[in-house]
Amino acid sequence: MFESILNWIMANPYEVAALLLVPAIPLLFFNILPLLVVMERRGAAFIQDRPGPNRAGIWIPILNIRLRAFGMIYNACDFVKLAVKERFDPKFATSFGYYAAGPFIPLLVALILPAFIPMFAPIWYQSSSGSLAALAGTTISTHSGLLALFAFSSLSIYGLVLGSWASNSKFALLGGMRASAMMISYEVSIGLAAAGMFLIVGSFDLAKIAAWQGEHTWGMVAQPVGFVLFTVAMFAECNRTPFDVVEGDSELVAGFHTEYGAMRFMLVMSAEYYHVIVASALISTLFLGSYHLSPIPLPLGHDGAMVDLDDRWMRANLGGVCAFMLAVGAIGAAAFAWLIHGRRVHYNRSGASDAAMRSKEYLLYIGAIGGAAVAMAIGAFLVAGWRPQPATLVGGVPLWGGLVDVVTAVAQFHVLVGKILLVSWLFVWVRWTVPRFRYDQIMALGWKVLLNIALINLLITAIIVKLVH
Amino acid sequence: MAKVIPRPDLGVWERLYIGEIFKGLMTTFGHAAKSLTNPAHFPTLLYPEQQPDIPRDHRSRHRLMKRADGSPRCVACYMCSTACPARCINIVAEESPDKHIEKRPVRFEIDLLLCVFCGYCVEACPCDAIRMDTKLAVLVGGDRAGFVIDKKGLMDWEPKDYPASDTQSQKAPGGSLNAKALEELKSGSDH
Repeated sequence: MFESILNWIMANPYEVAALLLVPAIPLLFFNILPLLVVMERRGAAFIQDRPGPNRAGIWIPILNIRLRAFGMIYNACDFVKLAVKERFDPKFATSFGYYAAGPFIPLLVALILPAFIPMFAPIWYQSSSGSLAALAGTTISTHSGLLALFAFSSLSIYGLVLGSWASNSKFALLGGMRASAMMISYEVSIGLAAAGMFLIVGSFDLAKIAAWQGEHTWGMVAQPVGFVLFTVAMFAECNRTPFDVVEGDSELVAGFHTEYGAMRFMLVMSAEYYHVIVASALISTLFLGSYHLSPIPLPLGHDGAMVDLDDRWMRANLGGVCAFMLAVGAIGAAAFAWLIHGRRVHYNRSGASDAAMRSKEYLLYIGAIGGAAVAMAIGAFLVAGWRPQPATLVGGVPLWGGLVDVVTAVAQFHVLVGKILLVSWLFVWVRWTVPRFRYDQIMALGWKVLLNIALINLLITAIIVKLVH
Repeated sequence: MAKVIPRPDLGVWERLYIGEIFKGLMTTFGHAAKSLTNPAHFPTLLYPEQQPDIPRDHRSRHRLMKRADGSPRCVACYMCSTACPARCINIVAEESPDKHIEKRPVRFEIDLLLCVFCGYCVEACPCDAIRMDTKLAVLVGGDRAGFVIDKKGLMDWEPKDYPASDTQSQKAPGGSLNAKALEELKSGSDH
C-alpha cells in the first residue's frame, strides 16, 4: 500500500506538485501578511518622521542581544495578546451565530482568491500515460478565471454586512451599510476597468492574460487608463484610505468591527490585509506583467536582436534571469546592510545607555544580511552562464525537465512576489498621504467620474481592438 | 465684523485631483526616504536609553546640598517654606550639636504633588542648600505617599553627576565640626 503510493509519487512528480500547490499558495501568500503589517507600521512611521515600533525583541542569553528584527516581533506579540485576550460575547447581539460567523467569511473568501492568480507560467510535461499535460500556475484553472475571482471577492462583503448587522450597534451597522454601498459602486468600475484587458487579450483566463503580457507588453502600457482606474477602484474595494469610510475611525468608532475584540478582531484585520495582498497580486497580474520581467522587448537576443522576455525566453536564458534576480537581491541586501550600518554608527554616537547591546545587534544584522548579499552575488556569477536546452520535444512543445521547471517556477513566483510587495507599498504609501474622502464624495467619484471614464476607455479600446483584428 | 476667508480658487489641474495626489505622494516619499537613510533626521528620542539634553537651569526635582562631612547644608531657617506658594515644604527643626550652627532640619519633606516647580525655594535659600538641578524630569510614584520626598531622598545624589566647575562647590564648608573637611577642601584634594 505504502510502496504503491510512493511509486505513484515517483512516477507522477508533476501531479504531486500540483496537489501540493493547492494548500501551498494561500499559505505562501499568508506569509506576506506579517511583512505587510510591518511595512504599514514602519512605513507610516517613516513618512511621519519617527522611528516606529522598534521595542519588542527576543533576548538571546549567550550573546546578550535583544533581537528586534525590524519590528517583526510585534506580530508575535500582537498574536499572543489577541489570542489570550478575553473573548467578548455581546449579550445585545441580534443573532450571536451570525455575529460570530461574520469575521470568518471575509478571511475564508480571501484565502480562496489567490487560487485564481497564476504564480508561474504553465509547465508542460509528459504524464505517465505518455500524453502531453500542463501544470497550471493557478490552483483553480478555469476559463472564467477573473469573473470567478470577482464573484468570490464580492462575497466577502456578506461577512461585513452580516457581522455588522448582527452586532446590533449603530456604528457597526452604518459601517456595514457603507461597505455594501462601496462594494456596489466600485465593483462596476473594477469590472469595466479590467474589461479593456479582456478585450485586448480575448480571454478571462488570468493565465492567458499573464502570458499575453509576456509576449506583447504589460497591461500598464496597453491600458494606462484602465490601470489607474483599476488601482483606484481596488483601493475602494479593499476599504483602504482614502476610501476607508467603512472603518471610519473618526466617525464610526471602528465601523463594522466596532463590537469585535480579541481573536475575532484579528480575523477581521487579517482578512483586510489579506485582501490588500490579493488586490496587489491582481493589479500585478492584470497590469504589471505578472511574472514577466520587462514591459518592452529588450536587445538580448542573438546579435542584439530585440526579443520579448516571455516564458520561453526565460526558460532558454534561465541562467541570465536567475543571475539578474540574484544581482538585484544582492544589491538590495547590500544597500539594506549599509543602511543598518548607518543606524549603528548613529546610535553609537548618540550616547544611549544600551548602545553597546544595540551595536552588537546591528552587527548581527549586518553580518546576516551582508552575508546573504555576498552569497547572492556569488550565486549570480555561478548561474550566469547557464543556458538550458529543452530535454525533449513532444508535439512541438519543448519539455525542459524537472530542474529547469522548478527553477523557472520559483524565479517567476519571486518576480510576482516582488511586484506584489511594491504594489502593497503603494497601498501603505497612499494611506499615509491622502486624507479620507467624505462619503458623498466617494459616491460621486465612483458613479460620476470613475464609471464614466471606464466606459469611455472601454469604448475606445473596443474600437481599437476591432480595427486591429 | 466677521472675517471672510475666501476659498482658494482651484485651477483645472488641481480640480482633477490626481496630479495633486502625486505631488502629495512625492512629499511623503521624500520624508520616508529621508527617515530610511538618515537616522539623524528623526526629531524623536528613544527615551529611556537616550536622555534629552536638559539645560542646567531647568527646574526639576529638588536636592539638598551637602557639606563635606555629609550633613545637609540646610540650617532650617524656614525661608524656603515661607517663600513656597504651594506650601509643599515641611520642615521640622532641632538644635544643632555644632556651636557655630543654630539649627538643623530633623525632617525636610517636599510634597511633589503640591509643588509647582517655581524655584522660589531655591532663590529664597540664604545658604544655597536647596537646588532644583537634578534633571529628573519624570517623577514616578505608586501612591500619594510615594511623591512625598524626605530628607534622605533629597540627599540621595552623586556629586559626580554634576559638573565640578559649578559656580558653587558641591560640598560646602560650614560649622566647626566640619573643620577636617574644610582642611581637605583647602588642600584641594576634594572639590
